[in-house]
Amino acid sequence: MPGAALGTLLLVVALVFGGHGLGAALFLAGGTYVAAVVSAGNRIDASATLMAVLLLLCGELTAWSLDERWRIRPEESLAWRRGAAVSALALAGLAVAAFVIALSAVPSSHGLLLTVAGAAAAVGAAGSGIWVARR
Amino acid sequence: MTGFTSWRLPAYASLAAAGVVAGLALGRVEPVALAAPFLLALVAAAAGHEPQVSVRLSLGRDRALEGDEVTATIELLSARDVDRFEFLVPLPPELSIEGGPARAVRLRADEEKTIELTLHCRRWGAFALGPLLVRARDVLGLRSWEGSAGEARRLRVYPSEETLRSLVAPLETQVFAGNQVSRARGEGIEFADLREWRPGDRLRRVNWRATALRRELWVNEQHLERNTDVVLFLDTFAEVRAEGRSTNDRAVRAAATLAHGYLERRDRVGLVGFGGFLSWLVPASGTRRLYAIVDTLLTSSIVLSYALRGVDVLPPRTLPPQALVLAITPLLDGRTAAALLDLRARGYDLIVVEVSPLELVMTDANSATGLAQRLWRLSREALRWRYEQVGVPVVTWDEGVPLAVPLEEVNAFRHLARPA
Repeated sequence: MPGAALGTLLLVVALVFGGHGLGAALFLAGGTYVAAVVSAGNRIDASATLMAVLLLLCGELTAWSLDERWRIRPEESLAWRRGAAVSALALAGLAVAAFVIALSAVPSSHGLLLTVAGAAAAVGAAGSGIWVARR
Repeated sequence: MTGFTSWRLPAYASLAAAGVVAGLALGRVEPVALAAPFLLALVAAAAGHEPQVSVRLSLGRDRALEGDEVTATIELLSARDVDRFEFLVPLPPELSIEGGPARAVRLRADEEKTIELTLHCRRWGAFALGPLLVRARDVLGLRSWEGSAGEARRLRVYPSEETLRSLVAPLETQVFAGNQVSRARGEGIEFADLREWRPGDRLRRVNWRATALRRELWVNEQHLERNTDVVLFLDTFAEVRAEGRSTNDRAVRAAATLAHGYLERRDRVGLVGFGGFLSWLVPASGTRRLYAIVDTLLTSSIVLSYALRGVDVLPPRTLPPQALVLAITPLLDGRTAAALLDLRARGYDLIVVEVSPLELVMTDANSATGLAQRLWRLSREALRWRYEQVGVPVVTWDEGVPLAVPLEEVNAFRHLARPA
């Protein structure tokens, strides 16, 4: 609960101060959720997919809200296109997260394969982080 | 164009990496599921490409009057789709654009897009519009490319002119034909006097009534119609500016109005911008001279200078003999006051139009500032008195009053004072 409250507070701060602290807010919210799931036991929580999409939407909608503060007169279609893109990303994220959860139901004899896939995903994520940092 | 990434991308990358690592470390699938949408966002960001957009800015016209509207056309052409293309027209405070100077559009591949903007010219000046500041973004705003594009276009906004029914007539005229009735006598239209006939006088000039009364030939004399030389002396040493209004703005408008009025009468008009930055135009007549004067006025600005400067620095042809010098000044700088007194001492027909700065100064009678203001006003009164002592009319032009009012005051002064 304290982590979730702090995450919410950071989200409000991010909205007020132009996005600063949004990453920390998302990190805290996700961390709190993972801690709660881990402390609950070994049972897989299927709501993780929903939580993942909500976290993503939290970031995207905050960014959209901040972008709208600029005094730029946009074409009407731009808002619809962005809304459609955010929705598509959220739906795709939901599908991928659900796919990951579904994969966990695969028998444990494939544990090595899953571990290798997880390591590859970790390397890929780290590589993405380095790519972003270099740009 | 320079590429940038949104502040979200590092956050998303960190979250994705942390989720996958936590999943491996804890042996749980939920952190990995949390990371999955953020990994997708990173993939979407990586798919973006730098756009190639050509931008062309053009203006409906390059000259306008204060208060006019000018259409600015922006033509955009992109080789590939751009989800969101933003541009900003950098504007000086004197210009504004209906609906704001920043727009965002979507560009399709090889499709030319034309956007028309309405520029409002609020104040005179010479401006350069462009290049535009542009930014292309992907649809989610995760990556962007910024730069400037388009060539600069020049726009000259001329000051609005007042209607003048009469101008101040100079005391002396020049040798060329014009519309001003000269004090000298000769071939003209205006009757001047009678005199006895002399050999060479034409028969048509004989005044038969006077001849019959005096029993000898008497002829009419007329005043010559001649042109005059007028020099507009603009004081650009100092100004008072408040709430978007300034004495220099009004002085420039007055100078443009007077130049137009005198040039319409076929007089020769010159200009002296006397201040930190010195500028001058030798007196000449015609429409070309009017444009030259107004173009010079557009670039006139107050330049701070401590240099001691007198009329000696001006080229001799700038101030021809017997010229009428119309000084437009807020009477704020002692160097201008001294230069004008010097001109009067050299015999120039001088008129001082004082652009009153008093309306732009906050008055507070109960403080030390109020006392200083009283002293300042007294010193201005003393300066006016000095001018009047040497036969120079000083008229105050208050804000909101037509320019014709002080000019009529000058005419009244001349009728009563009969300056030398």
